[in-house]
Amino acid sequence: MCSRPSSRRRPPRGCVSTASTTTSNPLFWPLSPRCQASLTSSRRIQSPSTILKKNPRHGETLAMKGLLINCQGKTEDAFAIAKEALKQDMKSHVCWHVYGLLYRSQKNFDEAIKAYKMALRFEPESQQILRDLALLQVQMRDYPGYIESRRLMVISKPQIRQNWTGLAIAYHLAGNLAEAENVLTKYEETLKQPPPRSDLENSEAILYKNDIIAESGNYEKALDHLELIARTALDKVAILEGRAQYHLKLGKSELAEKGYRTLLDRNPEKRDYYAGLEKSLGIEGDDRLKIYEELATQYPRADAPKRIPLDFLEGDAFHAAAQRYLDWRLKRAAPSTFTSLKALYSDVAKRECLQQLVENFLAKTREEAKDANPPAADAADAEANTNGDKLTNGGSGNANSNNNNSVLVYTLYYLSQHHDHWRIRNTDTALKYINEALELAADNADQGELRLGLARILKHAGDVRKAMEEMDNARQQDKSDRYYNTKCAKYMLRNDCNDDAIKTMGLFTRNDVNGPLGDLLEMQCVWYITEDGESYARQGKLGLALKRFHAIFKIFEDWTDDQFDFHSFSLRKGMIRAYVDMVRWEDTLWAHPFFRRAAANAIRIYLLLNDKPHLAHGSLANGTGEEGVDFESLSTADRKKAMKKAKREAQRQEKAAAEAAAKAKDDRRGGEEKRQDDDPLGAKLAQTAEPLEKALAWLKPLLEFSPNFLEGQTAGFEVYMKRRKYLLALKCLLAGHALAPEDPVVHEQIVKFQLFHETFTLAPRDTPLPSFNEGYLKSHADSGRAIFSVVRTRQVLAAAAAEGESAPAVETDSEALLVDALSKEGTTLKDAVDGLAVVKEVKGDVAAYTAAARARWPLANIFQAKA
Amino acid sequence: MKPHSRNPSPRSKQLILPVYHPQIQVPGSFKKDIESAAPTAQMDIVRLHPAHIPHVQTCNITNLPENYFAKYYLYHALTWPQLSYVAIDLSKPPTSSNDPPKIVGYVLAKMEEEPVDGIPHGHITSLSVMRTHRRLGLAEKLMRQSQKAMVETFGAKYVSLHVRVSNKAALRLYKDTLQFEVEKVESKYYADGEDAFSMKQDLGFIWDAVKADEEALGIADKKPDGTAAADEDLDEGDPVGDEGQSDKKKKKEVVRKVKVGRALGVSDLVEKVEPAKAAS
Repeated sequence: MCSRPSSRRRPPRGCVSTASTTTSNPLFWPLSPRCQASLTSSRRIQSPSTILKKNPRHGETLAMKGLLINCQGKTEDAFAIAKEALKQDMKSHVCWHVYGLLYRSQKNFDEAIKAYKMALRFEPESQQILRDLALLQVQMRDYPGYIESRRLMVISKPQIRQNWTGLAIAYHLAGNLAEAENVLTKYEETLKQPPPRSDLENSEAILYKNDIIAESGNYEKALDHLELIARTALDKVAILEGRAQYHLKLGKSELAEKGYRTLLDRNPEKRDYYAGLEKSLGIEGDDRLKIYEELATQYPRADAPKRIPLDFLEGDAFHAAAQRYLDWRLKRAAPSTFTSLKALYSDVAKRECLQQLVENFLAKTREEAKDANPPAADAADAEANTNGDKLTNGGSGNANSNNNNSVLVYTLYYLSQHHDHWRIRNTDTALKYINEALELAADNADQGELRLGLARILKHAGDVRKAMEEMDNARQQDKSDRYYNTKCAKYMLRNDCNDDAIKTMGLFTRNDVNGPLGDLLEMQCVWYITEDGESYARQGKLGLALKRFHAIFKIFEDWTDDQFDFHSFSLRKGMIRAYVDMVRWEDTLWAHPFFRRAAANAIRIYLLLNDKPHLAHGSLANGTGEEGVDFESLSTADRKKAMKKAKREAQRQEKAAAEAAAKAKDDRRGGEEKRQDDDPLGAKLAQTAEPLEKALAWLKPLLEFSPNFLEGQTAGFEVYMKRRKYLLALKCLLAGHALAPEDPVVHEQIVKFQLFHETFTLAPRDTPLPSFNEGYLKSHADSGRAIFSVVRTRQVLAAAAAEGESAPAVETDSEALLVDALSKEGTTLKDAVDGLAVVKEVKGDVAAYTAAARARWPLANIFQAKA
Repeated sequence: MKPHSRNPSPRSKQLILPVYHPQIQVPGSFKKDIESAAPTAQMDIVRLHPAHIPHVQTCNITNLPENYFAKYYLYHALTWPQLSYVAIDLSKPPTSSNDPPKIVGYVLAKMEEEPVDGIPHGHITSLSVMRTHRRLGLAEKLMRQSQKAMVETFGAKYVSLHVRVSNKAALRLYKDTLQFEVEKVESKYYADGEDAFSMKQDLGFIWDAVKADEEALGIADKKPDGTAAADEDLDEGDPVGDEGQSDKKKKKEVVRKVKVGRALGVSDLVEKVEPAKAAS
């Protein structure tokens, strides 16, 4: 796993762009396999071979041959030839450069850098080698090395601005702000006259310098400099934002206020500007309302000045403001009113107030509807589609019956979403409102919107099957709308209908090269790949699940590689502030939640495979296989037999998949080459002999980049315990404990570790572990998750006691506790599903548990008896 | 074969299929229209930052059939960082500093690098708003920010875009709300063979506003039509204007085999060969 950024196999841009002028130097030939394939490589090989015929030991020619061989994909041969070349000509920079290029193509950057440095030793003047080296250094974040290379480039070509800018960036990234600024200034001083205002490179460079000054904290200097460049710099937003910010920092409140008002005038939908204005006015609390009311009048189309006060107002003031806001929004019949307000739902008083206000509004609207729309007025419906368009198009004032109907529909929609909110989750009421809205909704657009809402409620209630059907209904309302299509596919995956989902996605993907899935992979459609993987994991198809999660890993590698070209490209373009933003973002890329989610899943699967390798065969997964064999209850001989059978079955499936792929390829038009996949079902991934090592590849970036991600630390504990790396396991446990000392998983792990190592005490020293466990139960008696954890821990303790001599403390109330956990207020449907696994684990009464769960979540498919 | 949209090979035009709900219309001129207040959601409208890209990508592939790999978004964000904007839903407060923003709409825009008519102008590569956040005027707000920057930073005279002829809703947005005009129909523009309307909007009205702004701020240029760098680059492009020539190019493009996928380098994303100014 590369936790460091790495490069693609692609030549640096400079190499290609100078190719035409330097064809005499073979090193400027295109190097990537892709470039090479598009050229007639055989002819290129001819010239070296002609030379080699006469002089088979000519080092540099041999090196070039190696490079070309590498481009044909024969890496091992290439290395052998390159080594032979070096043997013949140790002092040739060409040989060393080629050697480095080979390593780079293998993404072995450390060795590549070493080789480049050797090449430079023999040819210190070569700009090409220096540039190749510099690009690798910044990609590897070797800033001292990068600074040195950039410095050499400035010395050799001081007349080129981008060389200076490049050196400044090197210092900046390395944290040396003063030197970065100094370098930029030095270049500016060489200019005899200022560049024209139209010089975009100059505009960016001076703004960049201003950023650096501000970053060093000297706002006075930054402000002075900003005023100097304000006339020349072409990025007006940057100037205005900088000026307002510096004024604020320097306590020049009036100027800051003026600045933020100017910015709001440009864009009244940016929170930062409002925050800046508040600070510059020095107002806090409810006093702010006056300003927001003033701004709301000034920018009547802006949402922010009306919405922001709802965050800080309380009580009657909130009531009044919320009323105004709701009147404004609900009368517009926009479906997103609830989305705008749900952030307030963490506050009980506010959400109750909102409910009451919307209910009042509903009652009022119903009254008006009755008056305006006598039951016979059917003609209005026919016009609904055309009139609907005009509703928000300046038709304010003349509220006709259609408008009124829409208002009613979307008020009902609000209430359905309100009752479906997870803090309230009153499914019956939510369904009542949405069904009424559906009956009233006149046109297709509204029908689609509302069915989407209905499907969401059903999904939250656990009825994934019906949710999927309703989402498909929504999709039918407008098949040209990809949003519906996307959501429909997502709901199909939630219902584990993977084939339907990919077919649905296929209605909008480009299918002629690698099919729908190939297109989604190519387009880096992370959400789909992740959901697909999680669905396969639920079904026990661990190979396919791993396959998908590894595709996510690949996307992150690609996103890491993507930056490589920009190291040179951005300098040429001059847009360096955005480039620095990108470098810093790339530095934290692997902390992204997309990665964390895939990693947590993958590690969980590898841990499972470590404990129960037979799960690698989908058909042996407990209870989920078609034959439903309970593998774990079989005798050793039968297990062997079952494994053999499963392997045969897997081979058959693989063969079928390969044949299907081959057939699909024939069917495709065009000659674009399909990527070969020798493991379409992920069987090889799942049947790994070393699942823990594989898990490590995920764990390392997870722990390195997301140290505050609890699930990463707890996963790390499990992996390291199983690998017998106890110190590392302890490190994870301590980190997890520091993040969430009372977390149920952390509790379990404290016990597990102490069982292994008695002197370690996160638990009180004098308390025996069973008492510690029961104590935890007492202090978290109202948490379902805590109860599951305690029951599981009892199991662990009982097993440990059975091994040793001490009499196991028998707890008899485990089953009752598990059922009881379902009635706890905070227990979610997801918790209940996790709990089911615990019941199975402790061989408890599954029927009693599911019956209790069914009582609380009557719609949830998972607890319903199989038909 | 016709280059696919997401396959930004040199000269291939960028495709858009803006999603837009029929009822999103906001009476629109750039000047604030106090009479016709339209509602918006709790939304932040900010410049596209590289960290937004995975989420802009998700928004795009959720809503539109023309999709791109992340590097193509990066190419926009790092070449014309002033031009692309995103709408962020703030309704879910982030639970940690690492939490990514929830992007519910975006405009991905660029400058035409090799304008056939020789006039610097912007181009909308892609624009969409999540269905859950439509009817709020977000598309217009995003577009206005982008257009202003096109003028201020790059001296654009007009902005162009393409829209599927079947996409009535998007057409209405561009025609009625944003006041674009249909320039011509481009036959079989899209990968699936559909025609596109080529639309454009003159940005003169922004030039006036910008000039007024600059005077007010005391940063007006001495030459008020201060030409931006795009003008200089023109000299390095192909000769300007010849229709027949550009047709020829197009035909050539049709038979050219096109590389697909993100393995392309940045230079492959660029629509014209960069002059290697500082190389060598």
